[in-house]
Parts: sequence; C-alpha cells; structure tokens
Amino acid sequence: MRKRGTPPNRALRARRPPEISPTVRSLPLAFSLSSDRSMASISGTVTATSVRPRLTSRAPVVKGFSGLKSVSFSIQRNGFPSVRLQAAPRRLRFQVSCAAKPETVQKVCEIVKKQLALSDDTPVSGESKFSTLGADSLDTVEIVMGLEEAFGISVEEESAQSITTVQDAADLIEKLVEAKSS
Amino acid sequence: MSWLLRRNMLPLHSNSLARRPFASPLPLPPASLPSPRETHIWYVVPDELKDASLLYQYMELLSPCERQSVLRMNGERLQKGALLARALVRTTLARYTDGRLSPKSFKFQKNRFGKPEVEWDKYDLWAPPPLQFNISHTSTMIACGVTLDLPIGIDIEEKQRKTSNNILSLAHRYFSPVEVAYLKTLADPECRQSEFIRLWTLKEAYVKALGRGFSGTPFKDFTIRLEASNSKQVTGELKSDAPSIVVEAVDDPGILMNRWQFALFELNNSHYTAVCMERDVKNPADGENNSLKLEVWRTLPFVEDECVTETDAVKNIIR
Repeated sequence: MRKRGTPPNRALRARRPPEISPTVRSLPLAFSLSSDRSMASISGTVTATSVRPRLTSRAPVVKGFSGLKSVSFSIQRNGFPSVRLQAAPRRLRFQVSCAAKPETVQKVCEIVKKQLALSDDTPVSGESKFSTLGADSLDTVEIVMGLEEAFGISVEEESAQSITTVQDAADLIEKLVEAKSS
Repeated sequence: MSWLLRRNMLPLHSNSLARRPFASPLPLPPASLPSPRETHIWYVVPDELKDASLLYQYMELLSPCERQSVLRMNGERLQKGALLARALVRTTLARYTDGRLSPKSFKFQKNRFGKPEVEWDKYDLWAPPPLQFNISHTSTMIACGVTLDLPIGIDIEEKQRKTSNNILSLAHRYFSPVEVAYLKTLADPECRQSEFIRLWTLKEAYVKALGRGFSGTPFKDFTIRLEASNSKQVTGELKSDAPSIVVEAVDDPGILMNRWQFALFELNNSHYTAVCMERDVKNPADGENNSLKLEVWRTLPFVEDECVTETDAVKNIIR
C-alpha cells in the first residue's frame, strides 16, 4: 500500500499543519461493481490520500511551496499559540516521489486503448482505472503481457494484481526497467 | 403482511409504463428456490433493451454508491452494462423472497477477500433464504447465478472472442502444464482458440466460487480437465460414464478437489458459460446423478422472463 503525496519530512507531520485539505480517493476493490471484470486487481481496499496544503491568507508565506522555509502564525484573538513549521527541503514535497515519466504513461495508455479497442478520442490518462475502461480479467492479463513485450520486462503475478490504474502500471514498469538495468 | 417491505412493489398496467417513465415497475414474478444441487442462472442481453425509461427504473433500484460507480464507467455503453448488472443482481435475488423484499432493499457487503455477498437484515417473522450469487458480464450479455447456501462462481465469454496474444503464449504464462499440454494437442487454431476460452471461463468460475480472488487462487496453481467418471450401479443397471469436469492442484495431481462441481455450456448461441458450485455434502444424493443441475432464464427485468432451460439457448452441456 502506498500513500501518495505523503510528506517525507516526519518532523513536519508531527506538528499541526496549516489548512491541509486532504482528498481521499478510494481505489477500486476486487469485485467492483462492474462485477467480475476486475478479477485481476485483487488487493482489498486501498485508500490513497493526496494532501494538498493550503495556506490561509493570514499566514505570511516566505517563499512558494517549493522553497518553504517556515511559516509562522500570529497569535489569534482566541489565544491559539503560534505554529512554526520546520524548514523543509527545497524540492517539491507534496508530489509522488517515484511517479513514472509521462512518456511511459503515454505508452501504457496506447497499449490499453489498443487492447480494449477504445476509440482514439476516448480519454485515457494515468488516473484511468482498468475496470472503468471495461477491462475484464482476460483483458488485464493481455495488457500485462503487452506491457511486458513493449518494455522488455517480466511482471510477477503478485505485482500484476496490484495494478488497477494506468499510473500503477507505468510506475511498476519503470521500477522493473530500472531494476533490470541496474 | 403489513410488516413486510412492499413499498416498492406497486403493480401497474404495462401500457402505462411508456407514459409514466418514473412510475414503479411491475412486480417480479416469484421464483422457487434452487434445490440443493441446482444453480439458477438469469441472463440479460443488453441489446434487447430498447426502452430508455427502463434504464431510469433500473437506476432507481440502485444504492447511491452503486449509482456513482455506474456513472464513473467510461462511456454510455459501459455505464449501461454496469447499470444492468446491478439491476440484474437485485431483481434476481428479489424473486426468491416471495414478494417480501424489493430489489431496492437489498444491501451488499464484501467478504474478507472482496467477494460481494448479500448482507441480510434480521426480520421478526421471516427468515430470508440464504442465497448466494455471482455475476459475470461481457458487452453483449450479463449473467447472474444463484444457489441456496452454496458458494458459486460463474463466468461468461463471447464465443467469438479473439485474443491479442498468441493462445499458447497466454497459456504458457497463465495456465497449468497439463492444460498447456492439452491445448498443444489441438492442431486447428480455431479449435484451440475456443478451447482456450472455454478453459478460461472454467478457471475463472472456479476462482470466483472460491471467492479468494485472482491472487488467492493463481491460475497456474490448479488444473481443470475432464475425468472419466466411475459408472454407478443403480438397480443393476450401469449408468453411462460421461466424463466430468474436475479440478486438481498442480502440486497434488491425482487428488481431485471433489468439493467443487462444474458445468460448461453454450448460452444463447453466443457465449461459453462456466459455472462452479460447491458440492452439497449436507444433502448427498442417494444413487442418483450427483452432477450440477441448471435452470436458466433469459430476462429483461420488469418486462419479460423466459425459461430457456430445455431449449436451444442452453446447449452442449458438460458437467
């Protein structure tokens, strides 16, 4: 199970963050409502939380998110103490650190579209779930085989079961390609 | 009968359905419960649905969560399929409650591996039948299998389904060695393709009956094949020994997992259909044929039901 966008800085998480608005997305379950079709994606319930911080207008921002050093809140009338955040690393913290390259995602979209015989104007992106695109279990194994062929990799059965979106597939491919070349 | 839920079951004249698209649907004719070794199958052909107001009626049956899932499907065709699948499950189960439960009132949960099952409420003066179900669909058919208290799995595939990858490549990757060897014996490519699809449906049905999911029951770990059955002697007569479908673990060949019984047949001349059901050990058959019994209906819920068990719509049955 992987939590997307979880800030790696543990000290930051221990303190109360300013105005975080979490968006919770549920990934498809084994037997989704498109019935047996998502047989291959058996992994139980996985909740992905992407956290996007939103600073209030009262908090003076030293720099943008990428260079966030510290934020301090003035003491409010109702007496809340000020909150200081630790200095953060310079790179963008609230992004998935191991997201696949756009070209990989694009290639996966092409293979998926071909296997499912989707028209060119059908929107398929990283977020697209195989089950909502109409893939049944045979489609999913064919897609996995197509990906193995296209990228010269070998996907373990257990890993194949955890793939539910195009992004999942792309991420796994890059991980395997990297492991193969190292 | 006032304590029972009948709110959603108002009878209406069929010709008024067109004028009142949001009116309550016709009541579903009640069906007798499946007997111990029986699977009941209800199937819908989406292309037969011409009346758009019916889609609204089906939508009314779904829970809010189900509706959202339907609408998340990519495109109208997939949405219609997802909607029909839920409507089929709900209406089918309702038939077996003798008018006491409406399709809308059913609640579903998932077992610890994710297999959907009915979540039954407690009623004071009535015990709901312990129905178990499973669904499968393609773009051209949706099927729902129902049993009384026995785990069931069903899978359908279009007979004409072509694979992108070579059949033997797929088989080498996903099937057991015995199954690969069997497919290799088939020289004719069309024969090989259809046997692959039939074997796929059987393996899917088995995994779904077990309810542990693809990862809990990897295809490679078990073999499904035909086994010559022992003839039974009944009152001095020898019964014919038609081969039966059996399943065994790859690691334990020869030890048949007798707990499971199968049926493989053609449905509506368009689909290979496999059913896997747990054998009813509580009610063992004395001397008679112990194989899986089938009753099949073609349906368009609230419009038409037709029992097709003894017709051409169900043929080439292997058990």
